[in-house]
Amino acid sequence: MAATTTTPFHGVDDVIGLGRRIAALIPGLLLLAAVGYAGKFIEQSIGAYTKARHIAFPNIEYVLWAIVLGLIIANTVGIPRIFAAGVATYEFWLKAGIVLLGSRFLLGDVLHLGGISLLLVAVAITLSLTFMHILGRVFRLKPKLTSLLAVGSSICGVSAIIAAKPAIGADDEDASYAIAAILALGAISLFTFPLIGHSLHLSDKAYGLWAGLAVDNTAEATAAGALYSDAAGKVAVLAKTTRNALIGFIVLGYALYWSSRGQAQAVGNKAAFLWGKFPKFVLGFLLISLLATLGFFTKPQLTSLANLSRWAFLLTFAGVGLRTNLRELGKQGWRPFAVGAIGEVFIALLTLALVYGADRYLYL
Amino acid sequence: MSNSTSPSRLSFSLDSYAVALALVLALLVRLNLLPPIKW
Repeated sequence: MAATTTTPFHGVDDVIGLGRRIAALIPGLLLLAAVGYAGKFIEQSIGAYTKARHIAFPNIEYVLWAIVLGLIIANTVGIPRIFAAGVATYEFWLKAGIVLLGSRFLLGDVLHLGGISLLLVAVAITLSLTFMHILGRVFRLKPKLTSLLAVGSSICGVSAIIAAKPAIGADDEDASYAIAAILALGAISLFTFPLIGHSLHLSDKAYGLWAGLAVDNTAEATAAGALYSDAAGKVAVLAKTTRNALIGFIVLGYALYWSSRGQAQAVGNKAAFLWGKFPKFVLGFLLISLLATLGFFTKPQLTSLANLSRWAFLLTFAGVGLRTNLRELGKQGWRPFAVGAIGEVFIALLTLALVYGADRYLYL
Repeated sequence: MSNSTSPSRLSFSLDSYAVALALVLALLVRLNLLPPIKW
């Protein structure tokens, strides 16, 4: 997940301003839809062509086509400013898609897999935060940059960094370095995780859990899961959502640590702080899952909700490609990237071991 | 999620809008006010 906004309302002027802002989103939204739909079209066209000619060809999901098309556009012709605001809404569609995906889970499954995820997340976060801080010292990074990298790679990527930055009083440069490193590593994970998962013959559940626990940004974790299989994508979203739910506690811990050293503002009301940082879409996801479990929707209605979620994710995956500027990512210093990369490999191996253990002893 | 450490009384985060949209869509589907959504 990435940047979020908080918008206070002040009256009619704001309503007019809101209308203008919504109108400014339209070009970028159309671009997201065009790139996402082109990805879907390519998948279907290749599938139909190879099937008609009895050619054995692996199905390449629309997810990959949408991301690759987006990457090509962003890194060749670039994204003109008129599209920027609309393209940035891919985070919004991701969150709406996750809430709607709740319709595909019975609450019992959420509690079972979510409980396992929570246990694994707690172990993984503790070990990975410790490891990242050791690495930061070895590479002599600034302590606050290390904190941002640790939060970003352990919890939920860019949005965790953005949430932690004001709380720990980090400067813009540190946040930019940490975000660039996490984005670059997220892009690498997107393509390496499915390959590793297939080579290890991981089940859909085990792979989905691994992707949800190890890939940083929610958009990339969702895409890495969906690239493996539909079922793996579902589990990846659930595991990642569990991880996201802990962001408030980790950021609060860092805020208290840095304020105790006189290098960040004191935290007043801790409950309000936690609520402010808590990802609200987790509650929406649980609510829709509860309604689906209680039989509030008919089977065709559940199918419609699942398909609405897929359309929302289609816009998200297009946005993941379109917002990745490889030249910008290359401009960061090598040390934050090295710390992030070593940390990511550690977290990937650690969570893989945890998933193997869970698969064996907790019956995924 | 919100960036603010002290959320104002009438402030809404991107998350809240996304949740609201998803719930409205779910309600429209439940009331059969949307045609079946195909993929």
